[in-house]
Amino acid sequence: MAIHQPGRRLLHGISLKFVSSHVTGGGKRNVNAGLSLTSMIDFLIVVVVFLLMTFNTSGETPLSKNVRLPKAENSIDMVDAPLVGVVGGQILVDGTSTGNTREIEESKQVKRLEELFNILKAKRELWKQNRPNKEFPGVVVLQIDRDVPAVVVKSVFQTAAFAGYPNVSFMVDGASKTKG
Amino acid sequence: MAGVDVGGGGKSGKKSLDSEINMVPFIDLLMVTIAFLLITAVWSHMSRINASAMVPGPPRPDEEITQVEPEPQLHVEMREQATFRLVWKTGKDNLTEKVIPRKPEEIRDGAGRVTGARYPDLAAEIEAQWKMTGKHRDASDKKLDQAVLHTDNETKFSDIVAVIDAVYHTHRPFNSGKPGDQVSAFNVTFSVN
Repeated sequence: MAIHQPGRRLLHGISLKFVSSHVTGGGKRNVNAGLSLTSMIDFLIVVVVFLLMTFNTSGETPLSKNVRLPKAENSIDMVDAPLVGVVGGQILVDGTSTGNTREIEESKQVKRLEELFNILKAKRELWKQNRPNKEFPGVVVLQIDRDVPAVVVKSVFQTAAFAGYPNVSFMVDGASKTKG
Repeated sequence: MAGVDVGGGGKSGKKSLDSEINMVPFIDLLMVTIAFLLITAVWSHMSRINASAMVPGPPRPDEEITQVEPEPQLHVEMREQATFRLVWKTGKDNLTEKVIPRKPEEIRDGAGRVTGARYPDLAAEIEAQWKMTGKHRDASDKKLDQAVLHTDNETKFSDIVAVIDAVYHTHRPFNSGKPGDQVSAFNVTFSVN
């Protein structure tokens, strides 16, 4: 096939004035806006840097759907510890149901929760078997809904302490600190 | 396509140090990074407050038993609906006792709903009392003063946390190696009785 010299191209050799006038608005205000690539990339990089700096993995604790945590200002970072949740009358250990709070709420008396006690004790024994040369920290985190009455909190707290977890922490929503 | 000038430019005969970056995949990468960081961002930061249980440790036959002088402890009682009682005790002896009215300051969410309360007056009173009676105020002291929280069985958990938060409000300097480091002046124990 023979090679020909290229002819005139659209908008270069052939002006197509009606097309260019339509695209540019034909004397009216242009509907196409230009975007400065340099500014856009600067903006994107600033957003990426900001998000990377605020990226935090310590708050990534599984939160039960229906739990509404109380707010506290003088809180500390979360630790890796067994998580006991009290949500909607259910008691959960690391997401597994271990009974309910109905009996305590009806009797309005602090009592030891046997099922919770046995599970926490088993977790403590397992921890000690896996790390025989380390001292057991005895930390447990209680994830309790803000409307739960104190009698339930006391029962779970006491059960955890009896099961060998004297360092109990309450999970809270870390509110920003107010001045004054 | 945009180019990146890294300076120099190479002398005659040498390969140029300038290189070009293809802007389309570069912007795609930035967009994907932003999307990933936004999706994985934790907007509600979970944290914790300590409330140790005063339980005796396991028996240590290898250690000699020594008599420990009882120290003053702050007992915060929230059994009354309208008041708090702050009692400093050494053993069974009351050192000071003060009743202060409950003045909750409501905490609201973005929609204006009440999600809790805070007690700034209680926090201020505890701080003032600690400055007079607290034993462990020196920055080199590794021990903390003890506060015990007493509540009735009906109190809501959010109120318990608000009072513990008010106790932890008092801070003191602490020699941890970092300049200007501070710790909470109290270690809070939650009484289940």
